[in-house]
Amino acid sequence: MASPLVVRELSKDFGALRAVDGVSLEIQDGQVHSLIGPNGAGKTTVFNCVSGFLRPAGGQVLLDGLDVTGWPAHRLVAAGLARTFQITKVFGDLTVFENVALGARSRLGRNLQMWRDARNVADAQAGAEEILDMLGLAEHAGANADHLAHGDKRILEIAIALALRPRLLMLDEPTAGMSPGETAHIGDLIRRIAKHTSVLLVEHDMEMVLGISDEITVMTQGRVIASGTPDAVSRDPHVQDAYLGEVDVMNL
Amino acid sequence: MTIAVVAGLLAILPFVGAAPFTITLLTEGLIFAIWAMSLDILVGYTGLVTFGHAAAFGLGSYAAGFFAREVTTDFFVTLLFAEVVVIAVAVTIGFVVTRVSGIAFAIISLCIAQVLFQIAVAWRDVTEGMDGLVGVPLPKMFGVTINAGTELYLLTVVTLAAVCIGLRRLVESPFGRTLQAIRTNEDRAAAVGINVRLNKWLAFIISWAVAGVGGTLMVFLKAGTTPMSLHWTESGNVLVMTIFGGLGTLFGPVIGAISFVFLRDEFTTRFEAWQLAFGFVFVVVVLAFPTGLAGIIARVWRSLWPVRS
Repeated sequence: MASPLVVRELSKDFGALRAVDGVSLEIQDGQVHSLIGPNGAGKTTVFNCVSGFLRPAGGQVLLDGLDVTGWPAHRLVAAGLARTFQITKVFGDLTVFENVALGARSRLGRNLQMWRDARNVADAQAGAEEILDMLGLAEHAGANADHLAHGDKRILEIAIALALRPRLLMLDEPTAGMSPGETAHIGDLIRRIAKHTSVLLVEHDMEMVLGISDEITVMTQGRVIASGTPDAVSRDPHVQDAYLGEVDVMNL
Repeated sequence: MTIAVVAGLLAILPFVGAAPFTITLLTEGLIFAIWAMSLDILVGYTGLVTFGHAAAFGLGSYAAGFFAREVTTDFFVTLLFAEVVVIAVAVTIGFVVTRVSGIAFAIISLCIAQVLFQIAVAWRDVTEGMDGLVGVPLPKMFGVTINAGTELYLLTVVTLAAVCIGLRRLVESPFGRTLQAIRTNEDRAAAVGINVRLNKWLAFIISWAVAGVGGTLMVFLKAGTTPMSLHWTESGNVLVMTIFGGLGTLFGPVIGAISFVFLRDEFTTRFEAWQLAFGFVFVVVVLAFPTGLAGIIARVWRSLWPVRS
């Protein structure tokens, strides 16, 4: 089976600034692959180029062996890629249930139907319920997404993405603004998800990244400086240089 | 069910002593209600604020009026012709304007409406310029003339009820939820696999098509139309009706449109600057109840029949 995601020599410029400069990475089936690096390293730009929110200047993106370079986001979703956002972007004025049901109907290709009640799309309703149960959001199903606590909104982000039943799940700093307890919970959740879905993770919490990743790619200034297992990467002298001042964290 | 009851109550008004003048005013209000609901699909549900929605309504009036004068007064055929014209224009214009959102969409849609206004002024062979189309004959249904007054009123009530039922189904369908997702956050919508541009385009076309139904009825009610029906001030009026009634509630705009017509009638007889008086009421209502009259009604309803859980 082809790799869920292969990125080859990806580049992206913002004016004169080369934000991403020849980045390559490959995700193995059923793995958690983390993309880390200091602020401004270009992680989020890679993320946005891969998920169709930015058009890359050069390079190639292969999803399951299919060349999807430059595809718009909604087509990538249909091809099996789902993402979350660093800044929480749930559908605030819709219910928690409806947030997830939108994803479920999208997967079933039902979102253009105009002449039936949305609540009667049984497969989507069941799929949404299942995911809310799995992620522990079922008790909030009827609440407006705006009314959720921050941590629950972050989990809802993941729930919406999972409802799309993706081949590859891309998580952009899922633990941003979370307490250590909540962070650990998200870490467990990602491991559980990885049993049936490959995960590309952009994350700042080093402890979590080292704990749950199968493989780590490290970027600074738009380039990949190291790639490998958590052990290998944390011992890499280039990485320690890049994280000077954060070395203590890396040694945890 | 509620729709059928309300439509039934409206339908008996002319037979229980409502003055012919009131019926005519109410006919206008109900036609505006169709128009305001069509705007709610765009503004309230999809989040696309437009200052050019008179274009859809006025175009429907012109197309229907032209056809009724030149070809046939059969209501269904005239409506069909008007819809073909309105939808053809909406497909074309919508393809361009729905590529943008927010302020850009509001301004571009305003510009396009003003272009249509200028065309109506200048294309005298078809539109008769500033004089507008006059002497549009009354419509016929199955060969029987629909007279002004009660008969046209009843036709309007039935049409409004049909539009209400259709649009309510639409907003509760997966497509309707998709539009609400786009309103909330376009990026997030794209990330759940929604083709944002396609759905905005479809919403635009549907909104115009419904407005065109209103425009068709209006040209028969007024026996004609003028370029002013396309003017931006009319776009402003329908926006006021919709917001006054309650955005994103579908039925709020119906109440908003009817209130607008009656308040306007009330105020124009009392004040020189009726817009000022109406503006005052508008601001007070919208400040106190961001969901407009629909919000007030919901509040009163809940206090009368508290939800038991």
